[in-house]
Amino acid sequence: MSHLGERVSALVDGELNHHERDRALSHLAFCASCRAEVDAVRALKNRLRSLDGPAMPADLTMSLLRMGDPGDPLPPRERPFPSSRTFGGAPIPSMHSVAPPDNRPRGRAAGPRRTRRVGYVAVGVASAAVAIGTLFVVGGPEPGPRVPPVDMFANQHSNTAPYGGSARPSFSPTP
Amino acid sequence: MIRLPAALILAVLMLLGLVAGSPAYASPPDEAENDDTGLHLLREAAIAGRNRGYAGTRHVTVWGRSGAFSSVLRVRNVPGQGLFVRTEPSGPIRRVDPGSPAGSMAAPSEAMLEVLARNYRVVEAGGEHACGRPARLVRVLRADGTLAARYWLDEAGGPVLRRELLDGHGRVVHTEALLDLVLDPARRVAGPALVAGGSDVGEAPRLLSMGWRLPTALPGRLELFAVHVLPTGYLYLGYSDGLSVVSVFVQSGVLDGEQLRGWHAQQRDGHTIWMRNSAEQETIWASGGHVYTVLADAPADTVDAAVAALPHEPVPTLWNRLGRGAHRLLSWANPFG
Ligand SMILES: [Zn+2]
Repeated sequence: MSHLGERVSALVDGELNHHERDRALSHLAFCASCRAEVDAVRALKNRLRSLDGPAMPADLTMSLLRMGDPGDPLPPRERPFPSSRTFGGAPIPSMHSVAPPDNRPRGRAAGPRRTRRVGYVAVGVASAAVAIGTLFVVGGPEPGPRVPPVDMFANQHSNTAPYGGSARPSFSPTP
Repeated sequence: MIRLPAALILAVLMLLGLVAGSPAYASPPDEAENDDTGLHLLREAAIAGRNRGYAGTRHVTVWGRSGAFSSVLRVRNVPGQGLFVRTEPSGPIRRVDPGSPAGSMAAPSEAMLEVLARNYRVVEAGGEHACGRPARLVRVLRADGTLAARYWLDEAGGPVLRRELLDGHGRVVHTEALLDLVLDPARRVAGPALVAGGSDVGEAPRLLSMGWRLPTALPGRLELFAVHVLPTGYLYLGYSDGLSVVSVFVQSGVLDGEQLRGWHAQQRDGHTIWMRNSAEQETIWASGGHVYTVLADAPADTVDAAVAALPHEPVPTLWNRLGRGAHRLLSWANPFG
């Protein structure tokens, strides 16, 4: 695909149909010069808009055009964890809805042991979890400070077919 | 170790069976009676996604919590051999399951379609074009009538041409679209029409008997479909609503936040949650002597609600703060210890 050229303006204005937009976006993923041009046009249009009337809402086109290279630093989300009891618009179900068993050492000084609740209700979904406290350690006997192997997890995540019968990935779990 | 009464284990199995095998919602899906007029089209496209040979270029954009991530894939489906995918410009060729996120969920199983149908209304919405080809549009609606997803399905018996997920505010947050497509000539295909599929929670009773509590659902109609202790020692929980996948990994231990470079920390009720800008909306936190990692291809609001529903101890417990030497302190402090 050749450079975006005059399609840059139409892209910024959200005037491309979805097929053209996809093609333009896939070009932008690899073309720094067109990205720079899109940024410049967007900045210019924003400035023009700010001259007359209230600012445009951050619509889909704008968020779409925030696209950069994967991994580019991006502005932080405004309200990722509101402190109220709602979270991303959804009410927070009670905590500890999933929980591993208490695997802290027992029988010595008995730190405060939480009572496990039986049952748990998510938004509109009746669900249940059973509470039986006992010892169990998933990751081996020496739980120490650690960083999750996120790449391996990502591999498992993206290669899992939900309800595919067996969720075990068919690939070899490297990187 | 607490011995479990057989009745309790049976009850647990029934609970799991309830979620895995039958609808959690009031009205069971019946395509003849309800409004799921688009379900048969999705099924046909899913069959084509496995059984019809094709090659093309797929563009994927995910709008995560704070940015968009795009990739371009060359895809080649060879019936009987699988779906081969190469990330442009220079990724390796990988064979992926066409029902997985890596395969753009192009060919879900029958069980996955059932989950979709019981969580959403799936309606045919007329003719359109996608990828320069005539397409049937299928709209996936939430109970409140808002749009959760759109599928453009090839009229000529090809795979899903385009798929969009929308968040609760009506914003498109996930797009997967074929930019070009070459379909192999149709052949009479032998073999199963559609992978039956099903949930994969066989390890759950053992975990439950060991004291783990596994929620069978998370907010956003996410239902538990897989439970595994991975050979590497992590607990894996897979959730899906029929459209997206949310993966939860649990490992024992304390999180070493200092080594999470490139991640940003968010405070919530004095509790730290680490996030990284990526298409998978990676989220890590520690709670109660365990480290949780969540990866998802669901809308960010759904992911946030799912993360919030998982365990968060707002203040580190005494054991976490004092570490492994704590029992000595406590023994000393507590004469009854
Ligand atoms: Zn260019």
